[in-house]
Amino acid sequence: MTPQLDKKLLLQAYSTMRRIRDFEERVHLEFATGEIPGFVHLYAGEEASATGVIMHLGKEDYVASTHRGHGHCIAKGMQLRTMMAEIYGKKTGICGGKGGSMHVADLDLGMMGANGIVGGGGPLICGAALAAKVKKTNNVAVCFFGDGGSNQGTILESLNLASIWQLPAIFVAENNGYAEATSSRWSVATGNIADRGAAFGMPSAIVDGHDFFAVYEAAGEAVKRARSGGGPSLLEVKVNRYFGHFEGDQQTYRGPDEVKKLRETRDCLVLFRQKVTNQGELTNEELDQIDNEVKAEVAEAVDFAKGSPKPEAADLLTDVYVAYA
Amino acid sequence: MKSRPELLVGIVTNPESGRDIRRLLFGPSVFPTSEKVSMVIRVLAALGAFGVQGVLMMPDHSGIAAGVMRAVQAHCTASLDPWPEVFVMDQAIERSANDTRRAVRFMLDAGVRLIVVLGGDGTHRVVASECGDVPLVTLSTGTNNAFPDFREATTAGIAAGLFVSGKLDGSQVCRRNKRLKIRIGRHEEIALVDIAICLTKYAGSKALWDPENLAEMFVTFSECDSIGLSSIPGLLRPTSRDDGEGTVIRFDRHDPRYWLSAPIAPGLIKQMPIHSVEPLPPGVKFAVMAKCGTIALDGEREIEFTHEEHPLVWLDREGPLTVDVPKTLELAANQGLLVSRKRNPDPQQTSIS
Repeated sequence: MTPQLDKKLLLQAYSTMRRIRDFEERVHLEFATGEIPGFVHLYAGEEASATGVIMHLGKEDYVASTHRGHGHCIAKGMQLRTMMAEIYGKKTGICGGKGGSMHVADLDLGMMGANGIVGGGGPLICGAALAAKVKKTNNVAVCFFGDGGSNQGTILESLNLASIWQLPAIFVAENNGYAEATSSRWSVATGNIADRGAAFGMPSAIVDGHDFFAVYEAAGEAVKRARSGGGPSLLEVKVNRYFGHFEGDQQTYRGPDEVKKLRETRDCLVLFRQKVTNQGELTNEELDQIDNEVKAEVAEAVDFAKGSPKPEAADLLTDVYVAYA
Repeated sequence: MKSRPELLVGIVTNPESGRDIRRLLFGPSVFPTSEKVSMVIRVLAALGAFGVQGVLMMPDHSGIAAGVMRAVQAHCTASLDPWPEVFVMDQAIERSANDTRRAVRFMLDAGVRLIVVLGGDGTHRVVASECGDVPLVTLSTGTNNAFPDFREATTAGIAAGLFVSGKLDGSQVCRRNKRLKIRIGRHEEIALVDIAICLTKYAGSKALWDPENLAEMFVTFSECDSIGLSSIPGLLRPTSRDDGEGTVIRFDRHDPRYWLSAPIAPGLIKQMPIHSVEPLPPGVKFAVMAKCGTIALDGEREIEFTHEEHPLVWLDREGPLTVDVPKTLELAANQGLLVSRKRNPDPQQTSIS
């Protein structure tokens, strides 16, 4: 059952979701100017998933993300300004501007990184979870992946490995309905990714990813189970993304009003606001204040990124495994 | 869609049923899409054998209808056994209970004589809110259900086929079920098994499984061997589907009269703090005692209410009609409806001698 979230946690949840949303909406605008190198894949619309899961984690718990990883990074506690600088490819970025959007990471926060390899997070968190189990740290590891990733061998192998080793791992399938432009209705055999848990002897469930409280409750049980030695779980979060697979995607595979309707009816921030104000737990003024603070924080992050220097030629030979004499 | 045959049956399948958070907690297995497809195919085989000509099927996002259509196409080329023609409705999918509501309304407009429902208590509740007097054949696709039958789909399909054939008196094989109604302001909802009042403020992941915050519950019927919340009244004050009244139970963790061990979810037996157990006569409105919290309809937290709202609950006998499968088959057996003097060469005629 949903733990009775106190006011501090409710404010934290809203703030995290708002920071993700505004960050992504701003990256969407800035990418169109041509200043951001490489590809970006935006997480807007899926905020309740990252927030509802990661709020149960501490700094020592590990998260492996996807190519659509900004939301997971922000929920894990990364700073907006160093993330934005990384996406801009600037020297002040969290990875020195060398990773960009798809490789933004902060191991000090247990954030093993966004990942350009679809389904690449599964083996990573099996390693992290195995380390936690062997070292008896009581930590857990979470792998986010999408409906496309669910069809990759790496994820299926990881589900098997986590199950036979009974690792403290949580596999979170963020099913947003499309692997790039391919509908999951067409590409995911068994229809629901959660159905696959049974094949690996792993408990699984489906949760509404537009509802923070639903994700928070289900993820809380999965994390509790993992931390107490109960082994891995598979949680399928049904979500929707507001933008294309990547920025520039014309989204001809979506219905004409599909996103508009989603924004009108299944916006996790709007639903959250309705619920907490109806219950009298938070006021609109308190939430508006967060909106204003986040707006300023995102603007400052963009200014910081734009004003930061690019990496220098000499930086090409740093942060690599091979020493170039 | 081309013109549809006269003997038409609707099939509703809930792609989401059997996958709630309880699967993470106590070990019940997920009810897979592949098994739902298989159940529909078994229903089709039985309907076809008993003369049903057409089936209207609800579309879904998880591949149930697609799996059925693949099987239908394969069947057409591989077998002479009659199956009904299957029409998958052209309907946008929201991935919510609205999909079921719209599908049932469409089926009624199309003139279905019966609807086969594959789902849990919640699915049947949604169908019941729209189906009027069109009878249901209920099939459970989960491990925590009280309202739908947990039985082999083939026999359910035979009962459905016999009913639609008109060879049996519908009034003899159909049951008018009880239901609960709840009013919050101007909003009304129904439940077929139970309404539970929970003190948590948010519906969360919906399925109700933690007894800590349970304040009171209202039940239409409660069988001793049921699973889920209705097992609580089932073990204290059993009432059948045909009894005239239901039961009200109030819980009090601080001042219980006694504790009852009950299987409130598969794999979960909890001691429940019982404060009072009362009959719930039809038509009598009960005020919910909790000042705020969530309301679970048939095991799923659906409504959040505040101290400004004052929900009222009552029982009536205006629930859906359901086909009593054992009674249908018993009557059919007694009347010799499944017996022929010789093997009928025309498969369309094998059903009714």
